[in-house]
Amino acid sequence: MPTDPKAFAYFAAGIGAGLTIMGGAAGIGRLAAAAMEGIARQPNAAGDIRGAMILSAALIEGVTFFALIVTILLAIKT
Amino acid sequence: MIAALVLTAALAGQAPPAHEPTPAPAVEPHGEAAATEPAAAGHEAPGHESEEHEGPAAILMHHVTDRPLGYDFVVGPLHLGPTRHLIFFLLASAVVLILVRLAIRSYREGIPTGIGTAVETLVVYVRDEIAEKNIGHDGAKYTPLLLSFFFFILIAALMGLLPFSSTSTGNISVTLGLAVVSFLAMQFAGISKYGFIHHYKNMVPAGLPAWLLPIIIPVEILGMFSKPFALMIRLFANMLAGHMVITTLLLLIPLMSAIGLLFGLPMIPISLVLALFIMILEILVAFIQAYVFTLLTSIFIGMSAHPAH
Repeated sequence: MPTDPKAFAYFAAGIGAGLTIMGGAAGIGRLAAAAMEGIARQPNAAGDIRGAMILSAALIEGVTFFALIVTILLAIKT
Repeated sequence: MIAALVLTAALAGQAPPAHEPTPAPAVEPHGEAAATEPAAAGHEAPGHESEEHEGPAAILMHHVTDRPLGYDFVVGPLHLGPTRHLIFFLLASAVVLILVRLAIRSYREGIPTGIGTAVETLVVYVRDEIAEKNIGHDGAKYTPLLLSFFFFILIAALMGLLPFSSTSTGNISVTLGLAVVSFLAMQFAGISKYGFIHHYKNMVPAGLPAWLLPIIIPVEILGMFSKPFALMIRLFANMLAGHMVITTLLLLIPLMSAIGLLFGLPMIPISLVLALFIMILEILVAFIQAYVFTLLTSIFIGMSAHPAH
C-alpha cells in the first residue's frame, strides 16, 4: 500500500475526473438526445431548440468544470 | 442602420481596454523554471523540456500558468510587471481594436467589403439573436457591451492557439474581471429601470407567503453572486482545459520514450494526431465560449430587466 499522501491525491484525481466526465456526459447526452428528438418532431423550431440546447449544455458543462478544477488541484498538489 | 452598426462595432472595439481587469496581481515567480526558460512555451517542444529535471506536472503547469517576463514593475503591493498573460491580454485587445477599425474602413458607400463582411455578420448576429432576443427592445443599449465580450473572448482564445502564445482568458484574474463587468451590467440593468430599492425587491417574486421569505432571500442573494461566478469559472476552465489536454497529449511522447524507444516512436504520430484533433476542437470551443458568455450575460441582464418572467 502506498503511504505517500500524494499517491492518494493522484488516485483521487484520476477517479474524480472519470466520475465527473461520466456525470457530465450523461447530462449532455440526455440533453442532446431530447433536443434531437425535438428537432425531428418540429423541424421549424430547430433554431430555438438549438439555442436552448447550447445554453443548457453550457450550464451542465460549467458544473462539470467545477468538479474538474477540484481534480486538477488534487493532481498538481505538491 | 448601417451607421448604427458602425458605431456599435466601434464601441465594441473600444470597450475591452476600458474594462481592463488587471490580471497581474495573481502572479508570483515560481522557481527556477520561470527564470531559466521564459520562452520555451511552444506547443511543439515538450520533449526538450522533459529531459531536464522537471516532472510532467511541472511542465504542464509551466505551460498553462502565468509568469513574469523578465522585469517586474511593482507599485505598492501590486505586481504590474509584464507577464505572459498580461502581454497577450493587451495584444488581444489591440487585435480587436485593429480588426474593428479595419472593418469600419472597409465600408464602401455603406456596403462592407472584405473583413467588414465577417465582422458585420457577427455584430448583427449578436445584436439580433443574442441581445434583442433575450433583453428585449432595449437590447440595443447593451449590444456594445455584449459585442466587446464576444470579440474579446473569441480573439483571446484564438490567439492562444498560435505557437509561442498563451490564452489570457485562461487566467482566472482575467475572467474575474470579465465576470465583474458582467455582474455590474446585470445590476445596472435592473437599477436603471426600476430604481435601487425596487430592483432588489424584484428579486423576490411578488405574492410569496411571508414564511418563505427567510429561505428565498438568502437563496436569491446567493444566486445573484453565483451567476457571474459560474461565468468566471466556466470560461477559465474551458480555456485552461484545452491547453492542458494538448500539452498532456504531447507529453505522452517523452513519457513513453522513458520506457523505451520502441514505445516512444509509435507514440509520435498518435500524439500529434490527437493533439491536432484537440486543437481543431479548441477553435470550435473559442466560438462556443464567446457565444455562451455573451448569451448568458444577456440572459442575466434580461432577467434583471424583466423580473416578471
